[in-house]
Amino acid sequence: MKSAKKIFEEAREEGRSFVLEHEAKDIMSSYGIPIPEYDTAATVDEAVKKASKIGYPVVLKILSKDVLHKSDAGGVKINLKSDDEVREAFDEIMKNAKEYGKKNDTEVDLSRGVFISQFAEMGTEVIVGVTHDPQFGHALMFGLGGIFVEVLKDVTFRLIPLSQTDAREMIGEIKASKILEGVRGQKPRDVDALVDVIMSVSKMVDENPEIRELDCNPTFVYEKGKGALVVDARILIDDEENASH
Amino acid sequence: MSADSTNGIDVFFNAKNVAIYGASATPNSVGQAILQNFIKPQYTGKVYAVNPKYDQVLGVPCYPSLQDIPSPVDMVIVAVPARIAPRVFEDIAKKGTGAAIVISGGFSEIGPKGEELEDEIVRIGEENHIRIIGPNCVGVVDTNTHIDTFFLPEFRCARPKASNVANISLVSQSGAFAAAISDWTAELGLGISKIISLGNKCDVDDDDLLRYLAEDPTTQVICFYTEGYDPGKGRTFFKHAKMVTPDKPVLVVKSGRGERAKAAASSHTGSLAGSDNIADAAYRQAGIIRPDNFEQMFDMAKALSMQPPARGDRVLMITNGGGLGVMTTDALEALELAIPHPSSELRNRLRERLPAYCAIGNPVDVVGDSDSSRYDTVFEEALRTQEYDIVLVGMLMQTPSLGMDITNVIANHQRASDVPFVVVSMGGGFTIKAGEIMELMGVPTYDTGERAALAAKALAEYGEVKYGESFKKTVNNS
Repeated sequence: MKSAKKIFEEAREEGRSFVLEHEAKDIMSSYGIPIPEYDTAATVDEAVKKASKIGYPVVLKILSKDVLHKSDAGGVKINLKSDDEVREAFDEIMKNAKEYGKKNDTEVDLSRGVFISQFAEMGTEVIVGVTHDPQFGHALMFGLGGIFVEVLKDVTFRLIPLSQTDAREMIGEIKASKILEGVRGQKPRDVDALVDVIMSVSKMVDENPEIRELDCNPTFVYEKGKGALVVDARILIDDEENASH
Repeated sequence: MSADSTNGIDVFFNAKNVAIYGASATPNSVGQAILQNFIKPQYTGKVYAVNPKYDQVLGVPCYPSLQDIPSPVDMVIVAVPARIAPRVFEDIAKKGTGAAIVISGGFSEIGPKGEELEDEIVRIGEENHIRIIGPNCVGVVDTNTHIDTFFLPEFRCARPKASNVANISLVSQSGAFAAAISDWTAELGLGISKIISLGNKCDVDDDDLLRYLAEDPTTQVICFYTEGYDPGKGRTFFKHAKMVTPDKPVLVVKSGRGERAKAAASSHTGSLAGSDNIADAAYRQAGIIRPDNFEQMFDMAKALSMQPPARGDRVLMITNGGGLGVMTTDALEALELAIPHPSSELRNRLRERLPAYCAIGNPVDVVGDSDSSRYDTVFEEALRTQEYDIVLVGMLMQTPSLGMDITNVIANHQRASDVPFVVVSMGGGFTIKAGEIMELMGVPTYDTGERAALAAKALAEYGEVKYGESFKKTVNNS
């Protein structure tokens, strides 16, 4: 696996301010952040082979230096249950990407093919993110996903690096924290696993200050003892080599 | 800045030989107002005027340049037009003086031309080890040494005094606020050690003063007013504050709840992060208390300077007026402090010793015909069982039975127990006198239940910072 530094360097060389999804997940895996099994495939046959190896159902996503917002480009197909469905999805993603390119007057590079991931079982949706504030530097954000973030802006921040106490406080202080304790007959969620994700993200950014912004969105938290998974990850990096901390 | 960047800060507060560059014979001018401060009898050091136009100003010998002053000068106050500031700094460098306060405006705050001048004085300063406060500021007031560079006449802008009990120091980016707070805290009779206005922060900044005031034995609480930090400077302030707050309370009022950072963000997280959310988080992580405004800041700072931090969040309210009790406990509850009922042991003891018509609960209402002995009883019993971390005393002085000796009773129990006390005393002239006496004895006193509750909150909040895990937190606010 390539080192984080190498990944950032390559991204800059290609004029990207983001790292590709499998690269983001490589970096995160190396910090022990739990991620559904994933791989990449440049061709349709490779995609089918790797999908069946990962095990159905799977998700396919466009993997290109020219596409940051994959859904907007019609580049995401979820819950694919068979070889045929993967084949069909692969072709459609390539076709959509080409059209997306035409619409935006650019040639979309399709040589990298797709990112394939296990289709994670739905859990309680949370978001763990990182931003860089000009005055205070890197800060980590935590909130419950979906409407809690979008509408209610029920999120909380801490500067990186965090302590365990910070991480637990964050989880406890959002307005919707009761949901993680288990409401309406639901079992409590695996808060310890979530603390681990937060601490690992904090460590990762602390050691790689080139990371400018980051979203682990969604992250699924399962019931107590069953862990958490970062389902979608996006890492944006500084344009300049001389990243400020 | 190097690790020893607080070197050279002390002289701003302890200078014994001060030169005023731009001292003026013109009445009501800045150059005259500053000189006037230094010829008051309280200031015991020497002062020199510098201005080629005069031989003397207000009876103070005046020289064409610093070189002409026959003795050494350890601080220069610069009140000359910005365009000649670089020449003044050459003079300061030649004289070998290590500290300058630049009062004048017309530097980076006005645009590129002023920025050039500022860069120039910073360069001369760095090359010659001159620490600079300002430019574009009112400088420093020290209530102990009587260094006073505020160009605001005292009859318009009163200066606070140092208290024998405890003192607060304030660092303000804004000169106007520094002046207003000087005037206001003087009126309130709050104990102040130092007020510093930083202006453009071309050299000495929040970090330098935070570290200096942390070591300053005459400062018990450090207050800041800031509008924001230069890039990366929020982070360094956070780092320094984290080291200071276990030993001394730090309060910051920050304005400019900026939205600019949001606009520039391209991730989801970035779009949700106003700079102010992050400032909030940073302050909290560093153990900094963030009041919403100046009134809250000084209400909190007063309590923190006079009283020990609380070891837990359980408040006992005792009052001789039911309404005051209810209003205050409402405010305590809104601030997420605990107001637990007395234990049955304590209830029984109070039941035995108080008249039957007193209400025993939380609040304990010793009712309107109480004298100080009922308070004495409640303090004695409640402090013995150690079930409360803060005592909030409602002291209504309008009743004929409650004498001034109540202040002694409160102060004695506070000192003996080392549990923090806060007093609320509503009313007019007589009440205000009682409050002043109470504060001379070291117990902070407020004129409404809400303000007293906020003071109690500050004592709990700082207790949590200071004692960390061992702070007894009973309210779960999640």
